[in-house]
Amino acid sequence: MSEHRHTRTKAGRHGKAAVAGLFAMSVGLLTTAGVYAALSGVATGSEAVTSGTLNLTLSPDVGSGFSNFVGVMAPGDTDNVYVNLNNTGSLATAAGMTLWVAGTPANALTNGTAPGEGLSVTATQCSVAWTLAGVCGGTTTPILATTQISTMNTAGTAVSLSNIPSLAASTGKVAHVQVSLGLVATETSTNGVAPTPTIQGLSTTLAYTFTEQQRVGTATNQ
Amino acid sequence: MTVHHLHHSARRTAAIAAVLLCAVFVAPIHAGAAGRVSGTGIGSESVTSGMWLATVSPTGMTFTTTTDQTATVANTGTIALSGISYKVIVSTPPSGSPTFKLYTCAVAWASNKCSGGAGTQVGSTLSKGSTTTVGSTVAIAVGADEYLQVEPTGVTSSVTVTLGTSINPATQLRSPIPTNH
Repeated sequence: MSEHRHTRTKAGRHGKAAVAGLFAMSVGLLTTAGVYAALSGVATGSEAVTSGTLNLTLSPDVGSGFSNFVGVMAPGDTDNVYVNLNNTGSLATAAGMTLWVAGTPANALTNGTAPGEGLSVTATQCSVAWTLAGVCGGTTTPILATTQISTMNTAGTAVSLSNIPSLAASTGKVAHVQVSLGLVATETSTNGVAPTPTIQGLSTTLAYTFTEQQRVGTATNQ
Repeated sequence: MTVHHLHHSARRTAAIAAVLLCAVFVAPIHAGAAGRVSGTGIGSESVTSGMWLATVSPTGMTFTTTTDQTATVANTGTIALSGISYKVIVSTPPSGSPTFKLYTCAVAWASNKCSGGAGTQVGSTLSKGSTTTVGSTVAIAVGADEYLQVEPTGVTSSVTVTLGTSINPATQLRSPIPTNH
């Protein structure tokens, strides 16, 4: 019995000590909070920003632009397409541009399986609009020498076009580009049979991808 | 055990801190280098390549007399031809020294005549035991025919003439055509 009372008394002492401790901690926290509240300050600045855009548009210069070649192409034939390349975005471009041409389906016309043969592309820029007869009344500038599509048929093998200046935003017309498609062939047919591999009698749809890059980023201090 | 746990915890914290530092210092550089915007314009067109093919029929002729024989050449491709090369093989007969001449005509031969004339000789005289390639410059439209006549002389025993065709795209196709569209 006496032992039980002793235990109770001991527990009561512990409770009082805990309450006292909590009280002391609360006072301490309140004091600390008061100190911080007294030291904090807020300053707010505001700035508006708009991201730029870079849009490369491809549109007919004269004629119908890129469209299907009617008929069959013979070696030496040229299929000329006249297009305008414009940067209609709000960011200027860096100088230069790349081009790659994918064929679907990929075959000997575009993938090099008939060595030395297949489709080729040449691109020439005119300072004024081309005529549909293929005449440039201004100055011509070669931007791509005749190149086999088999060497530029993936994004990774895109070729750099020459003499492409930096294009101003919104009005950065590259001018007028003649894209000329040709067929290179050296194979001889014998007794009514084409050799193997051959570029004869094949069809493909070409996708010409022109890519421009934005101007170099600039640092602004204000 | 506790000490070991603390070491683990410390190492983990250090690793996380290192990763965060890397992110802070590397990300702006990476963003500046690879974050440039590009613009793409795509145009599409379909194209089909032509075929330059020609067959001759019959491919073999056997001569036992000096009677002329004819063959028909067909443009079986999809491109008009400006000429065809003929490979002519003349066998060696058991006896005699026959010679042959090859003539071409744009229309079928009638009574050994090409529109009443002699036609156009292709190459020179061919002798026995020879293999010769000669060229015709008669234009043949797609699906059209050219007509050959082999004219022998001095045949005294059986001799065969074999004909074959070949087309070189550099010289025997129609003129190149530029297309603007």
